[in-house]
Amino acid sequence: MLPRLKRFADLLVGGRKEGTALLRRALQRMLAEQHRYQRGTALDRWAFAEIYQLWLAELRGHADPMGQAKADDASFAQLFRREDGQPVDHFTISFLRHLPPQQRLTLLLVYAERFDHIDAGRVLDVPADAIGARLVRVSASLADRLSAREPHSAGASVEPLYPELAS
Amino acid sequence: MTELSDELLVAYVDGQLARKQTQAVEKVLEQDDVIAKRVAALKHAHGRLEAAFEAILTGEEADAAATVTPHPPGLFIAWATLGKVSLASAGLVAAFLMLLAGFGWPLATPEFSRQSTGVADPDYVGSIPPSWQEDAARAHALLSRASVEVGLESQGNRDLVAFQLAQAVGPNLTVPDLSGQGLRFMRAQLLRSGDEPLAQLLYLGASGAPLALYAKKSEETAAPSFKRYGALGGVAWSQSGISYLLTGEGDEASLTKLAEAIRVGMNTPAKAVPDYSPLPKPQPKPKP
Repeated sequence: MLPRLKRFADLLVGGRKEGTALLRRALQRMLAEQHRYQRGTALDRWAFAEIYQLWLAELRGHADPMGQAKADDASFAQLFRREDGQPVDHFTISFLRHLPPQQRLTLLLVYAERFDHIDAGRVLDVPADAIGARLVRVSASLADRLSAREPHSAGASVEPLYPELAS
Repeated sequence: MTELSDELLVAYVDGQLARKQTQAVEKVLEQDDVIAKRVAALKHAHGRLEAAFEAILTGEEADAAATVTPHPPGLFIAWATLGKVSLASAGLVAAFLMLLAGFGWPLATPEFSRQSTGVADPDYVGSIPPSWQEDAARAHALLSRASVEVGLESQGNRDLVAFQLAQAVGPNLTVPDLSGQGLRFMRAQLLRSGDEPLAQLLYLGASGAPLALYAKKSEETAAPSFKRYGALGGVAWSQSGISYLLTGEGDEASLTKLAEAIRVGMNTPAKAVPDYSPLPKPQPKPKP
């Protein structure tokens, strides 16, 4: 479960080093306040929510919370590693980096962790409807961008040698 | 062209729709290329997101695997560990040989036990004092249920205490009066030695720690003998079916002298009329 928690923390803060530090602080807090854990709650869901709540609480203490929430380009790209040697999907990585952290986590919880909308909403402290709305917005946005990037049809376009004569 | 919202299409791609809804969407996809293209784009986006998240997890697991300490080279155990074990073994052998040289064969090892555990134990000669926990645990082993349940009323009254203790330990048990030796009877209680009752009588002098006389049933008769138990000395003897142990911080001479006084006092016949009777004294009849 630890690699999954680490992935959650890394994606939230946008960097491996910062993610490790956040996860460490969250685990310490979970151990210190384990009495808050309610029996019957799935441990991974509780741990994800604890990490997110801690991040949110620490963010509120900053003078520029939005600035803090932005991920650095280079460190964010280092999160992704392909074991099979295939090239890393820079387009999707860049897309994810520019998303607000809450939307990144929504995608992670539903598409990678396979949480239903209710559980994902509990982790991120939002209604299930909000999770659904985020998924539609982000998926549609990525689909739009991917469609726009698709190579044009094979029709030839002749570039005039003398544009001033062509006009 | 059919109008289908992105909400519906994303739900379809994510597998969130009911079977009937799914079938309805699929029917539309067969007929409408635009909707089919949109669904393909959403599926493509979905797949790339999943792959990206999988790539993060791959990195995390690779990092976790990289932090595992590799097994050091060696024959079953690391060479360094093997070396340390060899050195330790050589040291042990050398120590054993020196022990052999010092004590001869067969080995006559001294008594290392720190405290006496019973009558058959050798004298306590240890230099390391036992911990208070050990002392307390040993003392607690003497407590029985009767120690708490049996109330020795009027603890200051030796005769009443003697009566109650004699019922438990034996009829010949007496509570000696040591006021002539400067010791005042303070109280008594019933302990246990194994399953047998053990009486404890406590006396206090003008200063110093209390002095205790322990008594338990015994069939033997034994002359007084002194023994040291750490900082405490004790004189043990048996008479009239009772085994006694007088113990305190005094030296051998003073304790033996006191034990002798107790023995002699016990052999002295009791007074015909006791000083105290638990029954109320008969009141003289008023003269008419």
